[in-house]
Amino acid sequence: MIGTAKDKAPIFSFILKDIHAHDIGTLIDREGVAIRTGHHCTQPVMKHFGVPATARASLAFYNTKEELDILVVALKKIIGVFK
Amino acid sequence: MTIHSEDLYQQVILEHNKRPRNFIKLDPCTHEAEGYNPLCGDHLKVYLRVNAQGVIDEISFTGDGCAISKASGSMMTAALKGKTVDEAKVLFEEFRKLVTKESDAGEHLGKLMVFSGIWKYPSRVKCAILAWHTMKGALDRKATVSSE
Repeated sequence: MIGTAKDKAPIFSFILKDIHAHDIGTLIDREGVAIRTGHHCTQPVMKHFGVPATARASLAFYNTKEELDILVVALKKIIGVFK
Repeated sequence: MTIHSEDLYQQVILEHNKRPRNFIKLDPCTHEAEGYNPLCGDHLKVYLRVNAQGVIDEISFTGDGCAISKASGSMMTAALKGKTVDEAKVLFEEFRKLVTKESDAGEHLGKLMVFSGIWKYPSRVKCAILAWHTMKGALDRKATVSSE
């Protein structure tokens, strides 16, 4: 997880092993989950954290626990694809 | 349930991503260029050593990018080693037409046809073609190339 502020908003920027964020984005899209990928127009922050890009799940009050489960299962599958 | 991405993340692409061929700086070289996609952050350099007969004796690349851009760079260097500069330009044009769905003939593309399904992912076409634009830029003596 990139960024761990104490009272952070439910917007989670993350990286997954050495799998590039764009690969995560394309694969996860096929599972029905839309996330944002890339450097989010924040190149200085990317540089600060030493990452080329991140994946970002942006949650809101209408997202459900089930949807989060779909996200987690999809991420695990992606790790399998790039094993 | 499986991930439905067989058309894009084929085994050959995953394998080239994991173990990219010719992934090293070529020194000395006769041509080099830097390719950058500012929107996604993919960034690579392509190096060529072209002999007096116009044959690409050596070609390599370095950089950061997604699996598609890295596999494309790897497969491009493997395909172009030993080709003439003119042949490389023909392949560039065929590859460009393939990934943009202008044509799916790809007469000389061989293994590179693995990228034939990428037009279905418009945001990823630039990843696949970045190494090629950079190679062409190096041959045309352009120091930097952007695939924005």
